[in-house]
Amino acid sequence: MSASDILDVLNVQRGEGAPAKKKQKTNNGKTQRQSGMARELYNLLGPNTPPVSLSAGGGSSAVKDKLNLKPSPWSRIGFTPQKSEKGKSNLKLYHWVKGSKELLEQEAIEEKPYFFDKFDLKPDIPELVDEETYDRLMEEIRREKSKNSIPTETTNDDTKPASNDNNDNKTTELVNGIDKEKESRADSKEKEHKEDGDKSPAETEWSYEETKQLFVLCNDFELKWHAIFDRFTYPGKTLEDLKEHFYLLCGKILKNKPNVNPQLLDSLNSYSKSKEIERKQYLENLLTRTPAEIAEEESLVVEARRFELAAKKMLVERSNLLTLFDSPQTSQSVQQYRSSQGLTNLYNSLMIMDKHQKRKQLSFQKGSSGRDPIPPSIPVAASSSFKKDRGFQTHLQQYLSGLLKQNQANNNGIKQEKSAVQQLLAKKLTVKEEEAYGLYYHANEKLTPGVILRSGQRLPGLSQRQSTLKSVSSLLQELDIPTVGGTNWKPIMPTRKTMTKFDELLRASATLLEVKKAKDKLESEIKLIKSQRGLQ
Amino acid sequence: MSSGGNTSSVYAGDEINAIVLDPGSYNTRIGYAGDDFPKVVVPSYYGIDKNDIAKSNAPGGKTRRVFGEDINLPRSNFETNPILKDSEIQDWDAAVDQYSHYFNKVLKLDYKEQPILITEPVWTSNQYRQQLIDTFFEKFDFPALYLAKSPTCISFQQGRPNCLVVDIGHDSVSVTPVIDGISLLKNSMKTNYAGRFLSDHIQDLLAHKFPEAKIEPRYRIKSKNPTVFPTAADYTTKPLNENITTSFDDYQKEKIWHEFKESMLEVPEKKLNNLNASQSNSIKEFYSSDANKRLFELPTGQSVELSLDRYALADTLFDPESYPFHNADLNEKYPPSNGEISLANTFDDYKPLKRARKAESNQSTPPLSQDDHNGNHTEIRGLSSLISSTLSSVDIDLRSSVAHNIIITGGVSLIPQLTERLYTELTNSNPGLKIRLHAVGNSSERFNQAWIGGSILASLGTFHQMWVSKEEYQEVGPDRILSQRFR
Ligand SMILES: Nc1ncnc2c1ncn2[C@@H]1O[C@H](COP(=O)(O)OP(=O)(O)OP(=O)(O)O)[C@@H](O)[C@H]1O
Ligand SMILES: [Mg+2]
Repeated sequence: MSASDILDVLNVQRGEGAPAKKKQKTNNGKTQRQSGMARELYNLLGPNTPPVSLSAGGGSSAVKDKLNLKPSPWSRIGFTPQKSEKGKSNLKLYHWVKGSKELLEQEAIEEKPYFFDKFDLKPDIPELVDEETYDRLMEEIRREKSKNSIPTETTNDDTKPASNDNNDNKTTELVNGIDKEKESRADSKEKEHKEDGDKSPAETEWSYEETKQLFVLCNDFELKWHAIFDRFTYPGKTLEDLKEHFYLLCGKILKNKPNVNPQLLDSLNSYSKSKEIERKQYLENLLTRTPAEIAEEESLVVEARRFELAAKKMLVERSNLLTLFDSPQTSQSVQQYRSSQGLTNLYNSLMIMDKHQKRKQLSFQKGSSGRDPIPPSIPVAASSSFKKDRGFQTHLQQYLSGLLKQNQANNNGIKQEKSAVQQLLAKKLTVKEEEAYGLYYHANEKLTPGVILRSGQRLPGLSQRQSTLKSVSSLLQELDIPTVGGTNWKPIMPTRKTMTKFDELLRASATLLEVKKAKDKLESEIKLIKSQRGLQ
Repeated sequence: MSSGGNTSSVYAGDEINAIVLDPGSYNTRIGYAGDDFPKVVVPSYYGIDKNDIAKSNAPGGKTRRVFGEDINLPRSNFETNPILKDSEIQDWDAAVDQYSHYFNKVLKLDYKEQPILITEPVWTSNQYRQQLIDTFFEKFDFPALYLAKSPTCISFQQGRPNCLVVDIGHDSVSVTPVIDGISLLKNSMKTNYAGRFLSDHIQDLLAHKFPEAKIEPRYRIKSKNPTVFPTAADYTTKPLNENITTSFDDYQKEKIWHEFKESMLEVPEKKLNNLNASQSNSIKEFYSSDANKRLFELPTGQSVELSLDRYALADTLFDPESYPFHNADLNEKYPPSNGEISLANTFDDYKPLKRARKAESNQSTPPLSQDDHNGNHTEIRGLSSLISSTLSSVDIDLRSSVAHNIIITGGVSLIPQLTERLYTELTNSNPGLKIRLHAVGNSSERFNQAWIGGSILASLGTFHQMWVSKEEYQEVGPDRILSQRFR
């Protein structure tokens, strides 16, 4: 039985289009149908597509496999998280593990290491020595410190007692020496700071008790210094104090041990408390800048980037220019360019080169705009109009910028090279420049679409009666105003300015003529009336 | 999933069915580790018969306490008392009673197999912690236990090992830097300008502004007809037992204030009490406008209309100094606080005597609050300045990363526009830092955040070694366990 049978039984009328559709669907569905659903059941669905995709892509076998498979056993068993310190603790926790109970218990007997044990790591920290040795080491450290605090002229004096045999160590010692010089300077500075009775950091004393706590904390908190400092209970110690003491002491302790990594020792000894303090002071200063200062700095950075980019661009342009100069070999005779054909050849080759360069420039711009957020302003800066008021926009520009934006939005998907005109328009031009290029914004005029020549344009002032036009022409002749002549009422050179002026002139003279006519009429009437009344 | 089948190191969970307990001053949350939400969220209050108290003092006396919804039933001579204060257990008997009620009757725990993780605030003293552990090992049969600092849990919940946790709860606002998952105690700050402070302000305001409006707890009302304030309330009360205690009524009223907080409060964009009088007037005018008016229906059916006050109440969190209570008693309840926590007693046990003298010269030990009584002026720190001063006390190396991960949590942080206001104020006062605030969008996650973090923590496989068993505790001793294991 299928869906169509059911529909027949229920006397449901089917539309004409339905069967065709159904066929299509079942064709598509054939692959689906195979999966996870009996064919009979699927047929019952009829023209309806199943609400959810039945096959998860794995095909029917995966589903069936799962249905047939016995669930793998999981069992809740106890385990003992290993404690690194005290060997085994007797704490027993319970969790679910995949596998049967017997198997897992077998494993437990085999002492399989606990899975998460490997994450329980301890830092490699030397053990603290007993109090006697500690006192001795501290004495040593103190002696060295007092020696270092006297600035020495030659760093060699410092290196001698350490008695190194390889060059590597010497250089580090040298660096250390320089550090120490700085250190002493910083120290004196600090003393100035803390003149109000506070003890200088170099003199912080460390009792054995304090040191013991420090080492315990270092172990517990895996050398996370901020946590160590937070939990350190003895007052009067800074974070830098803790670090310095720990590193120095560790250095001393390790030195007395066999086969110690010398690099480790070096790095331990290279910690400089004063430099650390200085660094933090510097950071602190950075943070306490006022918003104005921050803004200023940021703007300077932006400016600098801009300069860099502009310089780069200039270099590129310059090299382009140079190649342009080179292109027709100036050393050759000019004979070949004498003829008109030769000139055309030259022109063409120059144009081709120019195009190449433009393309290059464009791609350069595009590429760089992808990388840098600010560059678009630079090409404008290079244009001559840049120096003039940038905030000011002529009518044309306002209109154009709107238009261009629209265009860009429309053509975003398609990569287009801008035509020369568009590029020109994209620049900000002054009024003068617009004029020079003959650009004009026809605000409210009705324009006929297509290209019009100005010489063929009909001036609005010409919509007069033929007779007036004649008198106007004679007037113009009287005034010695040159026109093209004949029926063409045009100035000889029809630029936009002359055309508008000419139009004005036409209208003005037409009005003038009309006024004169009216005046003549009135005068003659007055004469007539006067003569009638016999007033002469 | 378990260790057996776990080969990838990404998922490090391994359920051991631990219990997580997060006792808060307002609500206590209990549930299984690995769950998204606590199974039990109950008020941290209990009801008890007055006569029982007297009995319990006598040897062999038995008390019967009620918890959860049961405490809302009006009974004669029944007190409703808080179990915690400032997130610390105060009434130990009641606490044990409450926990065992939920452990045994509701969750039906199998103690032998389930360790328990308890959250605690950062300001607990070692003495308190020891008492907590002793009590739990003594009264319950948990095989192992762990004390987790609640900011640490919150940082785990958000998956941000370095952050600044701002928890605006019921009794206290706390600001704690967390570094590598470890709460820094010395830098933490805490004030009491939190949920209860708001409740008191609401109560104070209503009493002052609408003295004629009667505040009846909801349970007394039998029927009511809606009216708006100047019109008198129109309602009938239920015939009730005479001997209802004031503590019961106060607790019931607290529910009204809670409702008020949820429905009325909104944080203004700027401080309402500015130094510049004209500016603050214009702000106030704006918030007094009709658009900001809202009605609040008291249980009697009478509604009161509020506009500016809705904002002023929320503003108290930011600027508590400008809003003294009308009721002098309440002013006593909230002494000026600059948020610094005295941690002295935490380390009392092993601080050698000779060091005590140097305490004054130490900047990291905050000046004790006794200074106030000597006439010293304490700077009162609202929410933003509390966070700012914590930020500035954090080590410079950590400051920027911490400022970038400020987690806002706790019930009161749900007041609309609170994070926005915080953001503008913090950015203005810390121009060099890039401030970013993180607040979970889901409101129930917001006030259960510490619990959820604890649940995540306790279900990690790597956490197994952290549990402290009773035997270990007895063997090693409380001092070392407290300082080394429960950090
Ligand atoms: N939507 C809300 N708007 C305003 N306040 C709310 C909202 N929801 C809850 N509160 C308030 O939040 C407070 C409870 O917050 P929370 O549950 O975080 O506190 P707690 O953890 O129990 O207390 P603490 O952290 O101080 O020990 C109460 O004062 C309650 O009135
Ligand atoms: Mg809380």
